[in-house]
Amino acid sequence: MRELTSGALLDALRGVHWPARRVVGGVVQGGHRSRRVGASPEFLEYRPYQQGDDPSRIDWKLFGRTERVAVRLTHDDASLRTMLLVDASASMAFPLETRAKWIAAASIALGLAAVAHGDGDPVGAAIVSDSVELIPARTRRGTVAGIQQRLVGIVPGGSTPLTPVLAAFRGVRRIAILSDFLGDAEGLLPVAGELVAGGAEMIAVHVVDPAELNPDAGGHIVVDPEDARVRRPLGETELPIYRERFAVFRAGLAAAWRGAGALYHEVSSAEPPDRVVRRITGSARLP
Amino acid sequence: MTFLAPGFLIAAGIVAAGVGVLHLIITREPSVFRLPTARFAPEIETRERSRAIEPRHLLLMLLRMAVVLVIGAALARPVLAPARTSLIRIVLLDRSRAVADPREAADSARRQVRPGDVLIGFDSAAAELSEPADSLAAWARNPARGRLSTALIAGLRAASRHRARADSIELVLISAMAREQVDAATDSIRRLWPASITVVPVTARTDTASTSVTLRGGPDDPLRYALPPASAAPGAIPVVVVRGTPAALDSQVTVAGGVLVVWPEPPVVPEGWQIGRPDTVGAVAAGPAVVVAPFVRTATHPESDAAPVIARWVDGTPAATERPAGQGCSRAVTVPVPRIGDLVLEPRFRRLVAELTAPCGGRVDWTPIDTTRLARLADAARPARALAAGLAPVEQVPAPWSRWLLVLALLLLAGEWLGRRTVSP
Repeated sequence: MRELTSGALLDALRGVHWPARRVVGGVVQGGHRSRRVGASPEFLEYRPYQQGDDPSRIDWKLFGRTERVAVRLTHDDASLRTMLLVDASASMAFPLETRAKWIAAASIALGLAAVAHGDGDPVGAAIVSDSVELIPARTRRGTVAGIQQRLVGIVPGGSTPLTPVLAAFRGVRRIAILSDFLGDAEGLLPVAGELVAGGAEMIAVHVVDPAELNPDAGGHIVVDPEDARVRRPLGETELPIYRERFAVFRAGLAAAWRGAGALYHEVSSAEPPDRVVRRITGSARLP
Repeated sequence: MTFLAPGFLIAAGIVAAGVGVLHLIITREPSVFRLPTARFAPEIETRERSRAIEPRHLLLMLLRMAVVLVIGAALARPVLAPARTSLIRIVLLDRSRAVADPREAADSARRQVRPGDVLIGFDSAAAELSEPADSLAAWARNPARGRLSTALIAGLRAASRHRARADSIELVLISAMAREQVDAATDSIRRLWPASITVVPVTARTDTASTSVTLRGGPDDPLRYALPPASAAPGAIPVVVVRGTPAALDSQVTVAGGVLVVWPEPPVVPEGWQIGRPDTVGAVAAGPAVVVAPFVRTATHPESDAAPVIARWVDGTPAATERPAGQGCSRAVTVPVPRIGDLVLEPRFRRLVAELTAPCGGRVDWTPIDTTRLARLADAARPARALAAGLAPVEQVPAPWSRWLLVLALLLLAGEWLGRRTVSP
């Protein structure tokens, strides 16, 4: 868990923004463009330009006067309430020795929370292991530290379904699901589609471990940690079939989530989490 | 190499074969591995037989078999022994004072001893000899009394030690068979030997070994009245009893085989003894002679003195010792001779004095033992030879290789543990 507590991840994400993918409604001050266009928004203040800001919001007159690049904030700038749904089921504790999948998911969640909080967005999390730990979305100082503390204290286990938790996120404007989608993937999609249709921004982060892509075919019996009834031999003969089936599953998952209107990212637990966060937040650009 | 307990080796061989068979035929379930994406593996039968014929498993099998075999070999007690013969002869050769001609005894031994046989010389003690001739020179005048009990015990031990070299063992006794060589334990010890004994008698001494005792003391010395009368017989052994510190002239008596008895009057003590606190002790014994009287003891026997004890107080402490000197011997006696009373005139005291002034080695009795006793000793009714397998238990035979084999077994076990760790998933 050193990756979560060292502070290197948060340092690496300093200055990263997570712009809204959609025009956001709302009146709370934030960093995202409001849907209230055509009105005369009251000027609030200038803010130095940050990477990810919409270039059309740069005040060029100010630049001409002062050679400072700044964006104009008004009272109509809106915040984006963000919730992170983190899967901490038994399947995430893989490999058993390193729990790399869980650490990757937790690191990415922490990174996204830090970026959203840095943008002034209320951010919270729901961590689902054998119970559900809910951290309400807040903007106060210490929110990210609180999420970090909860993530560090979690030991992945159990097989609690994610669907009911996701369903409780109605009203949340931005939802990121960090999971391996080996649990109730079918149940998640309809709920996700409803939330997207209701205006929420949905990001599905599919965490995969290299040992799942290329398992050791040493003539073992492989067992599902969440369902002991699933016992299959995996040797040299079975490995090609396994790889094909898993690839089909991942491709189908990607197509389904994208078809539901969500952003889908497949990430490897071996990939540096700050790079993943930049990839996720960078792809969320306004059309 | 031979094994003292080969049954263990046979059992180890059977167990090792079983280990090998189990290695080749045992079925085992493949190892279980947790994989969250297990559902994507095809659904087929999970049990399969696997044979341990991979090179790493073969090595483990061989290690395990080696451990069992080495432990079995250690328990079987291997000994490096020369090839077994059908018969070993253990010859007990009398070197005591009772033998008239030591060369005769040595020649008898040479006729009996063959290559590979064991020769043990005995008098009051016994020792294994390399060749009869090497002890001949020491026999010119051996004052030690021979003991058949000592000889028989030495023969029994030698038989147990050499039991691995032959199928049968024979015991041969070359001795003067004098009466003085038999004691109360001889018959009991003889019965421990399961076969007959070949008895080869040699000529015993016939001289009477009388003594001619001279007293170096005062005219009123009471010991004078207890001494045996001087013998005028030719060849009598001279005995000089000195009641103080012996002079150089007195010691000359031992040169020709005589006896010097240093018997000082208290408070003087013999050389090497220490003056102790006087105490009263109730009796003293020398050989068969015992005197019960309130003796006042003043001398203490030094613990460093290893000279044979010829008389003891009733509490077991030495009262007189004898050590070889020249061709004879020198005695130190600390028994006080009472000046008051008539103890010195009593026969029991005179018998004590006779023992203390006897020839070197004590009073002699070279009379041959009677035929009944001789027949009992030989016991011709028993088999001529004892089977080596029926002699002393295996545990009494040293098997130094067993210890090293157990060390080797421990090393192999460590190797098996390491091999098991690398083999197991």
